[in-house]
Amino acid sequence: MTREKTGLTRRDFMKGVGGVALGMTAGLPSALSAETKQAGSSKVILVRNGDVISATRDINGELVQAMLDEAMVALFGHDDPSDCWKQIIRPSDVVGIKTNVWRYLPTPPSVEQAIRRGVLQAGVTERNIDQGDRDVLQREVFQRSTALINTRPMRTHSWSGVGSLIKNYITFDHPPDYHADACASLAKLWELPIVKDKTRLNVLVMLTPQFHNIGPHHFDTSYIWPYGGLIVSTDPVAADAVGLQILQQKRRLEFGAGRPLQPTAHHIALADTEYHLGSADMGRIELVRLGWEEGSLI
Amino acid sequence: MKCSIHITDIGVPALVAVALGVLSMSGCSGRPADDSAVDMDQLLPQQISGWTRAESSVTYDRETIFDYINGAGEVYRSYGFGEVLVARYTASELPEVTVELFDMGNPADAYGVFSYARESEELGIGGGYEQRGRVLCFWQDRFYVCVLSEERTSDSDQDLITVARSVSQQLPSATSLPDLVNKLPTDGLVRFSERFFHLHQSLNYHYYLARENLFNLSAATDAVMARYAPGSTYLLLIEYTDEGGAVEALTSFRELYLPDAGAVTTVETENGKFVSYARNGRFLAVVLDATSETVANELLQKALGNLP
Repeated sequence: MTREKTGLTRRDFMKGVGGVALGMTAGLPSALSAETKQAGSSKVILVRNGDVISATRDINGELVQAMLDEAMVALFGHDDPSDCWKQIIRPSDVVGIKTNVWRYLPTPPSVEQAIRRGVLQAGVTERNIDQGDRDVLQREVFQRSTALINTRPMRTHSWSGVGSLIKNYITFDHPPDYHADACASLAKLWELPIVKDKTRLNVLVMLTPQFHNIGPHHFDTSYIWPYGGLIVSTDPVAADAVGLQILQQKRRLEFGAGRPLQPTAHHIALADTEYHLGSADMGRIELVRLGWEEGSLI
Repeated sequence: MKCSIHITDIGVPALVAVALGVLSMSGCSGRPADDSAVDMDQLLPQQISGWTRAESSVTYDRETIFDYINGAGEVYRSYGFGEVLVARYTASELPEVTVELFDMGNPADAYGVFSYARESEELGIGGGYEQRGRVLCFWQDRFYVCVLSEERTSDSDQDLITVARSVSQQLPSATSLPDLVNKLPTDGLVRFSERFFHLHQSLNYHYYLARENLFNLSAATDAVMARYAPGSTYLLLIEYTDEGGAVEALTSFRELYLPDAGAVTTVETENGKFVSYARNGRFLAVVLDATSETVANELLQKALGNLP
């Protein structure tokens, strides 16, 4: 019985089939050329501040606000951050802030509050703003939402490679349905009616990213570090691709080249090459760096 | 015996059966089936040194595991995991300790999940334990146990050992490695690199081979992968339920991964490394990323020499 080949193999990456981004994301030898359908580039802001995390890992909320303001200005080109929010959010919008409550490394309240302030500055009333994670399908504002803001910390993950912005929408559906092949199809989530075309901004929290796990699911503070960054973009795939590069570089510094992410976070590249949600190819990402440069790892 | 259970698709009735040992993964793979129902709650002590067990223990099963550990619950579901009991222990002047008692269905799968991301191993608790940061995990009989301290203090390393030893004393003592792990050649084996698993997703975690399930891995197959010196050569051994399964999987691997190989069984791939493979009855042995053809063939021959 002869089987027909339907998916990429490790050798395809070596040969260059599947594109630069996929090989890069998979931690495999880079391909020679990329074939992707998106045109143009995605703008990603990386803003960092060396003082935003204290020695005791407390987060300075005022600096978080300043960092997000700075990122918004750089991303949307207005002098006043509130004008940037007005560009992406209408006063009539019903806004769900999709956060992440993982107990060891949740989206920091200071980030959630800075986003909420921005939405309020755009003229949205309090009753039309809500935030949620595992309960989003039960929350009334999310059910009638017209706009979403997506935010979470990036961390390594034993089944999907990393917990990413793309993955953060998994609670909009039945999570196990997306677990096959290391969560390869996560970008399909973004086609759900409750999500599709609603996301106005993505904020990948890189204040204290997690670069390694203990066992399948345990957390230890020895595997986070005070990176002091936020990655902000309208393109979740591009933001994740930048965050992934940073995590991979951190792992190279800590462990050497012989310990790439396990499993490969190929859901990010596939969000580009198969689902066309955004750009995972660093060659098509316009990365704007703001603030603290030391140890940026990218 | 032919088994068609797919762990990730297992239904509630099958879960009950697994819990009762009537239809267990261990039975599928030829190991003795463990048909004893377990009262997890009775296995954890009420008192451990200065700690007292809190009343609010919680149990998560194959469906609710995601409420406790999100998507990483799939790692446990990729084995014969039935349920996990999570118990908290408090003491007046000591950090709170959490004990996670996973019923993995059989000893091989308890070892499997222990080996999944193991970086080191020490002997003295159960079949082996690993302590990193404020977490200590060990496997024993059909159980995988993790002990977590809320804080890392100067005493917490010893505290974790104290708690783990106390839990270990409550568990059945029988502990043996999966048969397939014992078939790995020892010469050149990188310590603690052995990974025991069943599914395609697990293979791709340890060594990304292909999106497609080239080896037809399933709950019914046992697989072990390990690294060898020189370089970082991988050896994969797979045990199928019958010879036909091994033949079919080898055909699939050759057609889809080595379509250019013809009748050759050692192939240089695009990264300048070598792949070598062979079948022996219902077993497959595959060498990946060998630094030379000689290295590939020598390791393959050693592996074949250990297979029945």
